[in-house]
Amino acid sequence: MNSKSKVPCIPIEGSISYEDWLKGRRHRREMGNLVAPEIIRRKTSSSDRRLKKLFKGERGLPFTPTDKL
Amino acid sequence: MDAGKIKSALADVTAEQDPTIKSLKMASLCSALWAERGVELVVVGGSAIEILTEGAYASGDLDMCHATRETLPVAERKEIMGLLDAKGGLRNWKVVGMYLDLLGPVESFAHTPFRRIEAPYGNILLMKPEDLLVERVLMTFYLGESQTARDCAKKLVAVILGGDMAVNWDEVRRVANLPEYRNLPECIKLVKEVADELKVKSPLHPD
Repeated sequence: MNSKSKVPCIPIEGSISYEDWLKGRRHRREMGNLVAPEIIRRKTSSSDRRLKKLFKGERGLPFTPTDKL
Repeated sequence: MDAGKIKSALADVTAEQDPTIKSLKMASLCSALWAERGVELVVVGGSAIEILTEGAYASGDLDMCHATRETLPVAERKEIMGLLDAKGGLRNWKVVGMYLDLLGPVESFAHTPFRRIEAPYGNILLMKPEDLLVERVLMTFYLGESQTARDCAKKLVAVILGGDMAVNWDEVRRVANLPEYRNLPECIKLVKEVADELKVKSPLHPD
């Protein structure tokens, strides 16, 4: 599967540009979605009080849907 | 970074509504300001996994550690975070509509480099996926099975096997064999499970 990927790879050495990181977002999300549910944010944590206060009852901003990445 | 650039960056990060991009930009801005004073910051834990995988996992806080031996004295921390109009204490701040936690010195066992993104306000360093994978597999079984940690580890492996992120599998193997983890069999099993689902060969499977 590695050789078929056409998206920029986050390398071990050196760096990836912001533009290339953006280009790879959708494919990275899609790969994860093949093996686990799309959203896996924990329901609770020790930071709940401050997070829910800041994000109107949620634990963070909503994730951008895969088709919008 | 001059005051005008900081102001413009703050407006940009405040307006950002994509949680992953917001975290990345915040990390970039903080890293740049701390680096000007000789301290390198690294994004760690779930925050790093989110930026590396788009796994829809992280919450609205950004966890960072310092990679350099020393961190900044309290007065300098206050000065920098004051530039960002941050509210909080010595290690935790509310800033531009999110939380930043500075957790202390980074703990890494892998001999690979931190991953690096040329982000909008300066490079950011991310915890090594070799460490993240072994740690997340450990968390899957630590104090009973955690489905979230398991899903997170599976997504990390899927992104790697999909060719979106390079890892050194020999380092994964070595780190998983360290006394701190001793979970190589669990790592091999999880990587094989994902590889089977994706119908590719597991890089950790012996044959």
